[in-house]
Amino acid sequence: MAKKKASRTIVGSPLTPSLLGELDALGELPSTPRDFKPDGNWVNKYRIWTCHGYRESGNENVGFVRIERVSDSDKVFTLKVRQHVTQTDGIVNVVDAIIECRKNRLASPTKWQVSSRFMEADGQDVPKLASKQNGGSAVGADRVTCDWGLFEAVQRLAFHEQSSLSFDLLEGLSLSKLRHNLSYRGVYSEKIPGSRILHCFVQLGSGILPAEYWLDEDHRLLLVCSMNKAYILDDQAPEVIQSKT
Amino acid sequence: MAERNAPKHATYLFGRRDFLRLGSGAVALLAEGTLARKAFAGRTSPRPRARNILLIFTDQQHIETIAAGGCPHVRTPSLDRLVRSGVSFTQSYTANPVCSPARSAVLTGRTSCETGVYVNGRAIRSDIPNLGQWFSQQADHQTVYAGKWHLPRSYSSKIPGFEVINTGIGGFGYLCDAAVSRACEGFLRNRSRSRPFLMMASFMQPHDICEWLRLNMQNPGQLRYGELAGKLPELPDNFDFDKSEPQAVKQRRLGNEPAKGAWSKEHWRYYRWSYYRNIENLDAEIGRILQALEVYGYLEDTLIALTSDHGEGMAHHQMVRKNTLYNEAARVPLIFSWPGHIQRSRIDSAHLVSGLDIMPTLCDYAGIGPPQDMRGVSLRPILEGKSTPGRDFIITEVQANTGRMVRTNRYKYVTYIDEPRQQLFDMKGDPGETRNLAADARHASVVADHQKLLYEWESRLDVARRVPHRDAWRDNA
Repeated sequence: MAKKKASRTIVGSPLTPSLLGELDALGELPSTPRDFKPDGNWVNKYRIWTCHGYRESGNENVGFVRIERVSDSDKVFTLKVRQHVTQTDGIVNVVDAIIECRKNRLASPTKWQVSSRFMEADGQDVPKLASKQNGGSAVGADRVTCDWGLFEAVQRLAFHEQSSLSFDLLEGLSLSKLRHNLSYRGVYSEKIPGSRILHCFVQLGSGILPAEYWLDEDHRLLLVCSMNKAYILDDQAPEVIQSKT
Repeated sequence: MAERNAPKHATYLFGRRDFLRLGSGAVALLAEGTLARKAFAGRTSPRPRARNILLIFTDQQHIETIAAGGCPHVRTPSLDRLVRSGVSFTQSYTANPVCSPARSAVLTGRTSCETGVYVNGRAIRSDIPNLGQWFSQQADHQTVYAGKWHLPRSYSSKIPGFEVINTGIGGFGYLCDAAVSRACEGFLRNRSRSRPFLMMASFMQPHDICEWLRLNMQNPGQLRYGELAGKLPELPDNFDFDKSEPQAVKQRRLGNEPAKGAWSKEHWRYYRWSYYRNIENLDAEIGRILQALEVYGYLEDTLIALTSDHGEGMAHHQMVRKNTLYNEAARVPLIFSWPGHIQRSRIDSAHLVSGLDIMPTLCDYAGIGPPQDMRGVSLRPILEGKSTPGRDFIITEVQANTGRMVRTNRYKYVTYIDEPRQQLFDMKGDPGETRNLAADARHASVVADHQKLLYEWESRLDVARRVPHRDAWRDNA
């Protein structure tokens, strides 16, 4: 055990796209379809990758989140979300959400259904741990968004220094985290497979560690890094995770 | 393997009914044949019982991280709610400022050298019942567990005495804790009310600061997010440290990331800022459970206790993490709330309390007697405002049974095996522990008095056989 610990190298610096490449967390990121429009209909799938802080060990994919945007009226659009997070001994927590969002800069949620369920290692549901929640925002809740909504909203922001959002976060559509700001950070050439020019936005606020949103020139969100976890765009993410469990 | 010598004529109490009530955890205990009758000396209490009990365990929570407790750097509405609805202690110490040892003490009411969990990743010795086993056997509670266990595995779907409703993910509190609170919420939503429950919600946060340290070890030279420059918390008054500390303490400091990365003061302050964000993340998840208790009608008949396994260095003495006996690592939050029974909104600074007190206190409120050989005491009289002088001293163990702290109302005495340098702090005049008085001849009698307390304490313990330096404290004290 002591020998194993001695051979581990501390990562030492925050996760960036280049560092994720060094840590073998990235394959070649998917290229963005020509007809991709941030305010159109699309599906983005992300692997949830976690880092223990060492280069050689403890880093793994623990889940995925799939977000589908359906633009179905002039005033609102819908986000359909599925998130799997695998726990120890093969237990899986699945969260599904259908969120009606206002067509404002924040994608403020107006109505939603969220459910949580647990599955045993053999894939069997555990009904006694399931929960559901239907919600809706109060009038004037235009300053609010949710974490999944940010994955959508950030893609519609312009790439310039004054581009920013101020909001209160309703994380998972249930946990209130106040006074957040998302602002443009700049453009970076990152050494990742298929070397890319990426634009970065940073989210700061209560109840979270800083989150960096990395987008390609077509405004598609490729990566989100926050402290020891990263959401990595990967069309095969559900298959990768479900085959693991 | 049993660590304890069973009495020569020990008898074993279990009939078929006991067997069924104990559940699978007890089967393992019984298989080893080590649970003597005296270990199950339960009795009933005539006082009001809390129908349900929720024990919230946090991981690595510095005691001064609650807004309602006076911390200006965090927003903690859920922890505030607990503080305002109950009694919170400021002189609350862990039995051992390391994860597994501390948890073993909380869950058994026995010291970590007795449980055999003197370092991380050891199991509680098999003849000592844990909280879930005890409640399963002595009461009619449905005992459920969600989250970090670490006795020995960090997460496990099999925990003696408990039904595990969620495990968790090692090292990733942000993801793990959301699933923990969702499992608890689901459990409260769907359960039958026919039986009372004992629920453990064992969160990982704010332990994610350990991953933060590894991902921010290199001094960046400048703040990564410049807009935080005016918002970082100040360094603590006791940021500097005594250069003549015991080696065991110095080594902790040198082995951690700030020393390796030659941190600037600004980076230290950014670390503190980050730690507070983890606290807020934890608070939100606790809030989900409190809300579920309320929505599903359990709030009025549920006693809630909250504690942490150990604290966090938080830049005091230029320390991070745990495994030292400075107050920042050794003190932990301890809050009890039960509407109509426990006093509201009381912050108790008068009594020295320990993680060892949690087991007997919960047993008291459940109307059952605790297992024998409890090293802690029920805090119920204090929680209900009855005049009580409390205990005279607390002992905390550290670093694989090589160190001890004796905390009395006035002083803190610290000593290590094979270490000539001791520490003595006047906690009234020097609460930051910056002036070591141990070598001062004027305090020789104080040191001797504390050594005597330690000797008397150690002589009563039933130390597990597998623990190193098993007899050293009796010989050295």
